[in-house]
Amino acid sequence: MEGESAFQSYLDGALGTFGIDADEDERAVMLGVWSLYEPGIQLLRDADLDGIEPEMRPDLSKPPAR
Amino acid sequence: MSALDLPLREQAAQIAGGDLDAGELLDACLARIEERNPDLNAVVATFPDRSREMLDQAPDGPLRGVPVLIKDEWPLPWRAETVGAASVPGVTTEPGESGPYRALRDAGAVIAGVANMHELGASSTGNTSLYGAAHNPWDLDRCPGGSSSGPAAAVAGGLVSGAVGADGLGSIRYPAAYCGLTGLKPTFGRSAMEGHHIANTETIVSGPLCRDAADCRLLASALFGEELEAGWGEGARQRNPFDEGLRIGVIRDPYWSDSAPGVSEACEAALEALRAEVGGEVTEVGLPDLELILPAALLVAQSEEAAHLVPRVLNELNPELGLINRGVLKLRAVLPLSLTARGFKLRAKVRRDLAALFDEVDLLAWPAVPAVAPPLAEPMIELPSGVESADSGNARQGVLANLTGVPGVSVPVGLDGGLPAALQLLGPWGSDAALLDAAEAFERATDREFVELRPATVA
Repeated sequence: MEGESAFQSYLDGALGTFGIDADEDERAVMLGVWSLYEPGIQLLRDADLDGIEPEMRPDLSKPPAR
Repeated sequence: MSALDLPLREQAAQIAGGDLDAGELLDACLARIEERNPDLNAVVATFPDRSREMLDQAPDGPLRGVPVLIKDEWPLPWRAETVGAASVPGVTTEPGESGPYRALRDAGAVIAGVANMHELGASSTGNTSLYGAAHNPWDLDRCPGGSSSGPAAAVAGGLVSGAVGADGLGSIRYPAAYCGLTGLKPTFGRSAMEGHHIANTETIVSGPLCRDAADCRLLASALFGEELEAGWGEGARQRNPFDEGLRIGVIRDPYWSDSAPGVSEACEAALEALRAEVGGEVTEVGLPDLELILPAALLVAQSEEAAHLVPRVLNELNPELGLINRGVLKLRAVLPLSLTARGFKLRAKVRRDLAALFDEVDLLAWPAVPAVAPPLAEPMIELPSGVESADSGNARQGVLANLTGVPGVSVPVGLDGGLPAALQLLGPWGSDAALLDAAEAFERATDREFVELRPATVA
């Protein structure tokens, strides 16, 4: 998903695959929102998270077990 | 001065002491709503008969007879929540006894009405709602903040002295900041949440918006079902920072460096005043992966409603739902699961890193919002890094608390261009009372100057 055109292709495919209707205005919103948050999401996608496992049933009222 | 303008605790004390008639206070509250709400649009429903019934049946609790508002995010026995929207996609809302309702009722409070909110809780601005936007009492053309827009506008506008909001990605702290109030985002899981339409949430909490920390403590105690006594809580810390000196950590970049200069300066002055009041030191600290926290929090939060967002629901969205929410809901439905899974991985890492950081410092501090309330018509903010949407700037400052579960409080620290600026304090899990202690220490240090400020529209 590099850049808007790649995302637009993904979006068209995904909406079609899942059978989700979206008009032009809704697609414009999706592209706009994606462009706003894409840089951070790409960083998250590319971050080295090897060896990190999500917490299983975390108790978010407390710090993680150490 | 009307008794309606007294703090919650004073209202409660005078009612308990027989010096104030709770029925007259409720009547004054309803009259004030009728008088001021046309400008503020902070309240979307009142039900005088139900309110009087609550008053008649109020137990002898800490809030007996005190009128409050509740955000349109929970059901009441006589009214289903609308979440500020024409419909809640995939969810049928119904009247019922929600946790916050029960908590208020059991404390003796009187729910005088339901407060407006941003449609589906989906923005920090409050500029979109089924009922129309709520307006910021400091400037009616400005955003009150969101998504707890109505609770903030109502308290700042003097309709009530306290209101219950919800904070999923900063939604108590942003409106508190924009409206010059104190707003507490409790530690995850401590405050009443039953009946919320996102039953499996790991990010959203109920919490108080009031004019000062002492009132937040009183209202939060009701929502927690336990008295929030001063201090760090038994066993929470080995040392008492208020005796031994508070260690305040600041993460300069981007939270301070990319805030509007007037906001940063007000927050710097507040931090120094707090440090001078309680003793201790302010030190610069770091937290890894800062740039990943916002996307991770958004992905984790959006996953909580994923089960509702099936194609049939998305293809039958209520046409009265705002365009932005229609687009965002459909976007969320097609985000790759692999991204969301990375959000949960990052959450685990950030929680560990944050726990380690709280071994070194007692509190973290930075501006609650990077700029003052933007115009309702165009909620953009000007930051040192450029002009950007208020939502993205605000979320950057606010979501760490929701991603990790720690509590945070927004404290008014002055005005920038005539609009409120606010400092955010974050503490370790369970330090809700200590955050309010710190907020009260700041109030003492400044002779309550900033919590006593009132917008010209209500002065």
